[in-house]
Amino acid sequence: MKIVGSLPGSFQDFFINVAGIGRFTSRFFKQLFKPPLEWREVLVQAYQLGYNSLFLVSITGFIIGMVMTLQTKPTMEQFGAESWLPAMVSISIIREIGPVLTALICAGKVGSGIGAELGSMKVSEQIDAMTVSGANAFNYLVVTRVIATTVTIPILVVYADVIALVGSYVGVNIEGDVSPTLFYKQSLDILVYSDIIPPTIKTFFFGFAIGIIGCYKGTTADKGTTGVGRAANSAVVISSLFIFVIDLVAVQLTQLLI
Amino acid sequence: MENSNDIVIDVKGLRKSFGDNHVLEGLDLELHKGENIVVLGKSGTGKSVFIKCLVKLVEPDEGKLEVLSKDVQHLTEEDELNALRRKVGFLFQGGALYDSMTVEENLKFPLKRMPDKPSYGEIDDRVHEALKNVGLEKAIHKMPAELSGGMKKRIALARTLILQPDIVLYDEPTTGLDPATSKEISELIVEMQETYQTSSIIITHDMACARITSNRMKVIRDGVFKYEGSYEELKKSDDKWLMDFFE
Ligand SMILES: Nc1ncnc2c1ncn2[C@@H]1O[C@H](COP(=O)(O)OP(=O)(O)O)[C@@H](O)[C@H]1O
Ligand SMILES: [Mg+2]
Repeated sequence: MKIVGSLPGSFQDFFINVAGIGRFTSRFFKQLFKPPLEWREVLVQAYQLGYNSLFLVSITGFIIGMVMTLQTKPTMEQFGAESWLPAMVSISIIREIGPVLTALICAGKVGSGIGAELGSMKVSEQIDAMTVSGANAFNYLVVTRVIATTVTIPILVVYADVIALVGSYVGVNIEGDVSPTLFYKQSLDILVYSDIIPPTIKTFFFGFAIGIIGCYKGTTADKGTTGVGRAANSAVVISSLFIFVIDLVAVQLTQLLI
Repeated sequence: MENSNDIVIDVKGLRKSFGDNHVLEGLDLELHKGENIVVLGKSGTGKSVFIKCLVKLVEPDEGKLEVLSKDVQHLTEEDELNALRRKVGFLFQGGALYDSMTVEENLKFPLKRMPDKPSYGEIDDRVHEALKNVGLEKAIHKMPAELSGGMKKRIALARTLILQPDIVLYDEPTTGLDPATSKEISELIVEMQETYQTSSIIITHDMACARITSNRMKVIRDGVFKYEGSYEELKKSDDKWLMDFFE
């Protein structure tokens, strides 16, 4: 505690947040196995967050696939390795860019949305109202949203990967002529399981982090209208940070294990 | 009324501080069955904190707290606590309607989450009855954002009463409403109290509301109930501090 106390404010806040998120997560797992699970609300939340992020994820996925292709192309040409271009782009997208970029976008869109929604519910005493009516507000609000993000964000990542590959295909064809089948072969043949499975697993953790941090920040929002804004804002900042940390750990683990 | 068996809320020596902020410094209150107590006090004197302690939204530091013969502080079983909470209605200051749900869904929310949940038919009946009671049947499919301040309070009241509680806690039910609407809400509180035989604690600084709803009044000052009596008695008091409320 002494060490933490002597650190600059922003570092202290970070550690306080980590401790709070830790406690919140353990509460989540305790509640998760306590009936009743609000299935209907899980589906509503999953649908809403998927639907609301689809446009943003599509656009960024497409552009990043295309831009990466266009940027890499000259270098590959210098080495006379043009036919490796689709493979190189697809590996980068599937292993790293797709998951991290999509998660960051979702942290911005979904994490802030959850933070703001629950924050305003907290500030206007709606969460207290649920509690005193004998309902389990944590089950209804938090457990549902965390399940929704944990399940939906991996799906969005797979979708973004596909769209990014379409973008890459368009990028290849701006000054070239590669048939879809050839592109498909060139980009996907090289992939092995270790390119696909570990990045997919980490996206579940991304989704979980976004959900849990958004809910934590929302349900602990300070009174007043600024409290809601701060909850939304720090939900984005902290979950983005967590995404990078999880990514780092995931990459290290993958290299150790495979 | 003096029979100790009909005490539904019994508070003794209730204390609560937030850090250095000593908000409640020994509150005593007995609420009898069928009685309406109005709690009066300036802003920030801990009135909301007091009634939140009664339903364990706020954990008190010290004191005895019995609601419907249950020791609230030591009610550790979640099911037991929730069972008690269903018997104690709570009307929040801002109404606290669920923004993302229609009026109908707002009213159904607590009913659907009862352990022995009523049938769909019964849930619908109770929703209609509750809306009829507050005179807003036509608002059933509206969203809270589409309602006026007075309508919100009525719907919130309907939602509070839908579980047919024995006790109702009102946190400033008329604050933010115009005098005419305030009067309507105050009369509605009395009407509902007579219909459902509830006992209530009503927090307010609206004297018209206090006059209409109270059987007895308690005034909080410096963390304790400093004055007590009927509306008429307190009105006659020559205490300078107290007289300011009645102006
Ligand atoms: N959760 C809390 N944390 C810290 N202080 C609080 C909290 N809730 C209330 N207070 C403080 O307690 C005091 C009484 O608040 P409150 O009961 O809301 O007053 P009122 O009588 O206007 O309802 C205020 O000074 C408020 O700042
Ligand atoms: Mg208050």
